[in-house]
Amino acid sequence: IGRADAMAAAAMVASAGGGDFSDLREIKKQLLSVAERSRERGLQHSGKWAAELAFALEPLPLSELPPPPVLTEEDARDLDAYTLAKSYFDLKEYDRAAYFLRGCKSQKAYFLYMYSRYLSGEKKKDDETVDSLGPLEKGQVKNEALRELRVELSKKHKAQELDGFGLYLYGVVLRKLDLVKEAIDVFVEAAHVLPLHWGAWLELCNLITDKEMLKFLSLPDTWMKEFFLAHIYTELQLIEEALQKYQSLIDAGFSKSTYIISQIAVAYHNIRDIDKALSIFNELRKQDPYRIENMDTFSNLLYVRSMKPELSYLAHNLCEIDKYRVETCCVIGNYYSLRSQHEKAALYFQRALKLNPRYLGAWTLMGHEYMEMKNTSAAIQAYRHAIEVNKRDYRAWYGLGQTYEILKMPFYCLYYYRRAHQLRPNDSRMLVALGECYEKLNQLVEAKKCYWRAYAVGDVEKMALVKLAKLHEQLNESEQAAQCYIKYIQDIYSCGEVVEHLEVSTAFRYLAQYYFKCKLWDEASACAQKCCAFNDTREEGKALLRQILQLRNQGETSSTDVAAPFFLPASLSANNTPTRRVSPLNLSSVTP
Amino acid sequence: MASVHESLYFNPMLTNGVVHANVFGVRDWVTPHKMALLVLLSELGRAGAQLGLLERRRLNRLLLPLLQGPDMALSRLRKAIEECCPHLAGSVHIRLKLMAEGELKDMEQFFDDLSDSFSGTEPEVHKTSVVGLFLRHMILAYNKLSFSQVYKLYTSLQQYFQKDEKKNGADENEMELTNPEELDGKMEKEELDGPLREEEIACSGPLSQKQAEYFLSQQASLLKNDETKALAPASLQKELNNLLKFNPDFAEAHYLSYLNSLRVQDVFSSTHSLLHYFDRLILTGAESKSNGDEGYGRSLRYAALNLAALHCRFGHYQQAELALQEAIRIAQESNDHVCLQHCLSWLYILEQKIFDSCVLLEHSVNKSLHFGLPYLASLGIQSLVQQRAFAGKAANKLMDALKDSDLLHWKHSLSELIDISIAQKTAIWRLYGRSTMALQQAQTLLSMNSLEAVNVGVQQNNTESFAVVLCHLAELHAEQGYFAAASEILKHLKERFPPNSQHAQLWMLFDQKIQFERAMNDGRYHVADSLVAGITALNSIEGVYRKAIVLKAQNQMSEAHKLLQKLLIHCQKIKNTEMVISVLLSIAELYWRSSCHTIALPVLLQALALAREYSLQYLASETVLNLAFSQLILGIPEQALNILHMAIEPVLAHGAVLDKGCAMFLVAKCQVASAASYTPQKKIEALESAILNLNEAKTYFAKVDCKEQLRDVLYFQARLFHTLGKTQERNKCAMLFRQLHQELPAHGVPLINAFK
Repeated sequence: IGRADAMAAAAMVASAGGGDFSDLREIKKQLLSVAERSRERGLQHSGKWAAELAFALEPLPLSELPPPPVLTEEDARDLDAYTLAKSYFDLKEYDRAAYFLRGCKSQKAYFLYMYSRYLSGEKKKDDETVDSLGPLEKGQVKNEALRELRVELSKKHKAQELDGFGLYLYGVVLRKLDLVKEAIDVFVEAAHVLPLHWGAWLELCNLITDKEMLKFLSLPDTWMKEFFLAHIYTELQLIEEALQKYQSLIDAGFSKSTYIISQIAVAYHNIRDIDKALSIFNELRKQDPYRIENMDTFSNLLYVRSMKPELSYLAHNLCEIDKYRVETCCVIGNYYSLRSQHEKAALYFQRALKLNPRYLGAWTLMGHEYMEMKNTSAAIQAYRHAIEVNKRDYRAWYGLGQTYEILKMPFYCLYYYRRAHQLRPNDSRMLVALGECYEKLNQLVEAKKCYWRAYAVGDVEKMALVKLAKLHEQLNESEQAAQCYIKYIQDIYSCGEVVEHLEVSTAFRYLAQYYFKCKLWDEASACAQKCCAFNDTREEGKALLRQILQLRNQGETSSTDVAAPFFLPASLSANNTPTRRVSPLNLSSVTP
Repeated sequence: MASVHESLYFNPMLTNGVVHANVFGVRDWVTPHKMALLVLLSELGRAGAQLGLLERRRLNRLLLPLLQGPDMALSRLRKAIEECCPHLAGSVHIRLKLMAEGELKDMEQFFDDLSDSFSGTEPEVHKTSVVGLFLRHMILAYNKLSFSQVYKLYTSLQQYFQKDEKKNGADENEMELTNPEELDGKMEKEELDGPLREEEIACSGPLSQKQAEYFLSQQASLLKNDETKALAPASLQKELNNLLKFNPDFAEAHYLSYLNSLRVQDVFSSTHSLLHYFDRLILTGAESKSNGDEGYGRSLRYAALNLAALHCRFGHYQQAELALQEAIRIAQESNDHVCLQHCLSWLYILEQKIFDSCVLLEHSVNKSLHFGLPYLASLGIQSLVQQRAFAGKAANKLMDALKDSDLLHWKHSLSELIDISIAQKTAIWRLYGRSTMALQQAQTLLSMNSLEAVNVGVQQNNTESFAVVLCHLAELHAEQGYFAAASEILKHLKERFPPNSQHAQLWMLFDQKIQFERAMNDGRYHVADSLVAGITALNSIEGVYRKAIVLKAQNQMSEAHKLLQKLLIHCQKIKNTEMVISVLLSIAELYWRSSCHTIALPVLLQALALAREYSLQYLASETVLNLAFSQLILGIPEQALNILHMAIEPVLAHGAVLDKGCAMFLVAKCQVASAASYTPQKKIEALESAILNLNEAKTYFAKVDCKEQLRDVLYFQARLFHTLGKTQERNKCAMLFRQLHQELPAHGVPLINAFK
């Protein structure tokens, strides 16, 4: 009967399937009912997710509210046991709940029975980790219940007696037993039977490691798939695709969903579009002021922008809401770090790890703090831990590289930077770091390649070109050096950076001298005049101008007739003409 | 000659054979297996004088591996005890059964009683003995357990026991089914497997720290000394992964995993493991306050140094150099002279790969002596000797130096270096062309009892020196025509150094060289040609040289000449004198084959001068033979005979059989040629002696199965007999010649004109 129930739900969804969001009321109905059903089975997180999403949609009139689930004969028989057990379950007395549920036949009661057994095993496992016999045995502590659960569930699975929730639990058990392939199959099946259950989708997200795997999954064609795809694109760092998906979800009518907003903010954070991410987070805080999830990401952004007051406000606010949350500890850690109180920051990150040892970000952040404290060995330890939790954590690899760079081992750190680069092939920071190492090792050819690549993938810190130019300068390749400086100046002006860049003056000075040597007086004087705008190059600029004037006067007869060949690219010439001191924003339109 | 240095790598895990790991506070804890051992010990104490002397001794020998080894199933333990003393095994089983099927209080009582064995005026167990320490460890670990832990221990004891019972039941069923004879066979087989096979670890529980340390140090020393006895790479890696899963802080396991990856030539994972190891080591170094900052910086230096070693091992010399520079810089900054010495030695190895530099090495030796690093110093001396030998320094001085360094080895009991030194001597004697001396040295090493065997009980078996010596031995046998013996030796090498191991390339090269020589002797040039590719892969210079020889044999003179000229220039550049002389000889041969004897002469003289200068005696004699042949052809056989006297002695004493044959053949030819001007009486005498010499040459050629040469000799002999009028002998020779001539294809070069 439960199976039929699930089928009905599937059919219901299928009618609205195919990423079709035309009937939002129907979707809302489905969400409300699945939230209720998840709650009945003690699946708090899935229930929360569905409820949150339902909240973002228009309220339904009374007549359209989903009817309370129809009770079957079996349900009625198990009702007393279920009610009792559910209350025990809510009080975390899992063994007791399981005891009273034994022998129950209805789907709901059976699920709760199995689920409490699973949770009881998990709880015992956690307790046992504290007093296992020896440290080497610690890793061996297992959830003893898993094996039995697997046997029972697989029997039911073969007989096709499991509903969507049952399949989900079976998948979880398989995953805990490290049977990843089987687990994926079961989760996919669960998603087919009960597409509305977010938990199954989320588990799939954790198990799928690359795009190829995703391609070969046969997923049910429902609107839930869109949410799943958006989520997994974010996980797999395919930010462009993820943002597109989320945008279409918002367009479909989920604009008020805090879940989507937070995911978009995280996505922007991942591609380091700090301003957008910040504004979205601020919006999120307005809508959901007591939210703690994702606030660690928000604090990272504030940290990067050194927004002390905002970070301080956030930290205090979160601390008031709940100070024993991983995210809160992380925010406070960031706050202390920004105030350069690194010991305290490390302390808070440690606390976060005590609350959740698998909270990856804290290990990396703690590593950063130890780096600041110049405690390199502790930093290495922290980074290594981070890598242990997640081998694909590029920040930890990068941090390890930095540590060894500080220890003046440029060759040694190459390995770590390379690992980080492998994980984020399009991140310029790793490439610049690699380039710097190669430069230190005097391997200039490799260094050039790295800098060039860093520029090609979109340099965040805008330093790659200057470094490249300086390398060319060292190698006496003045032509290329000049090209690099020109590109650098174009870059700086085109992106409208208001911040005074240190190297701009160097670039102009080099260019002025370069044109002077090439006897291109117009360009040289333009650059020299630019030089005069900076403190450190003013004198040199003036001297050069004087020289140019002198030489021009000498060669007056020959050069006046010939129209000066203007080598410079359009934008640069525009930059350099001192008469047109336009704001950088206008200039950006000129750049190709 | 192989470079002896490759085995030099810093192995922090094995200093004095002890594993240094104290990452965790708890070193050992009580497990059901340990409890079974405790029961065994207490039973042993109780049995006391009832046990026979033999049984007692067997038990004592069993105890240590049991105490140190990994946990094992009860049935296996019982079997092990049964083999020593069946009576005791029964009582241990009964006591365990009582405990496991009784109550928790039985176990508590047992531990209370344990400490009694120390009390009394004459305690059964001495507190500081191995057994005493074990007992005290266990009692302490037990007392530390919390309530729930005690209960858990008890339940696991019950499980341990029940599992055995179940298995026994199954066994008994099986016993009824199978007949007793088969069972006996099975028992024997298990006995052969030995009581402590490491494969079994996988099925037992997690290792305690002590057991893990023991496991690691055992495997590491096996890897170093006798790789074939260590676990197979895959299963060792599995063990290590297991170990690391339970305790990622166990840094030494990473190092072993690095060594293991080196075995299978896996650059990627070996780098990964090495760096991981040092990341972990750095943190433990920082934790131990006794060393202070020093311990931490030290591991950094060695980290860079090891990375250099790794890259060098994989042939990334440029990378290795960069890493080494880094190590040197850090070591210099912190004034670590010992580390600097290690760096210097490595620097030498690296430089050697690129160009020679004695200065560095001399410096290294001096400094190492100064800092009291005998290992490095004598390694340096040996490298120096090796290099000087190539550079043609006086042989007596080199042998003196080796003797001095041998003194150093024996003084410090550096058995590994003693082996290397003997291998070095073998190689040097061969370089000088004294095959008998080389043979003697090789046999010395093989039949010597290693010092290590006395100390640790592990035979150093798969070191490079053994590979080198065995390879030389194989080649020496092949030269003398004992091909069966040679292939026997090579078979042994294959077993001892499996194809993926570090030194396998050595025997592969020698194997192919020997096959090549045989193919050339038989005149199967296409076979030889197919071997060239393999040789080139292992040693490019040797490969090119062999290619030229094949071309020459196939009468493709101009190609051979081109190749040889190129090779000559290259070898002169890298100062490989041995090869230069060989190449010169081949070029000369090309010339005289094209009947340009006058051009060949200066080339030969150049080769002779070089060979004399570098005291490569064997090559010198070979050059003389060539020279004599040229003179013979140029019509001055008397002169040729004169210089032949110089060369014939060393060739007969040390030469390969083929060369001996050629030499004798040449002598005979010269005798005949010079006899032309003699009086008839004298002429007959000369011809007769030439016939004798030809007979000798014939036996030599027959030994290595050189049919072409045999044919030539027979033809020549027939002519001589004819001249002497001995018809019967002449006919016999002619008949033999005819037989051979029908077998072999016609020769491109006129018969008498060839010397080889």
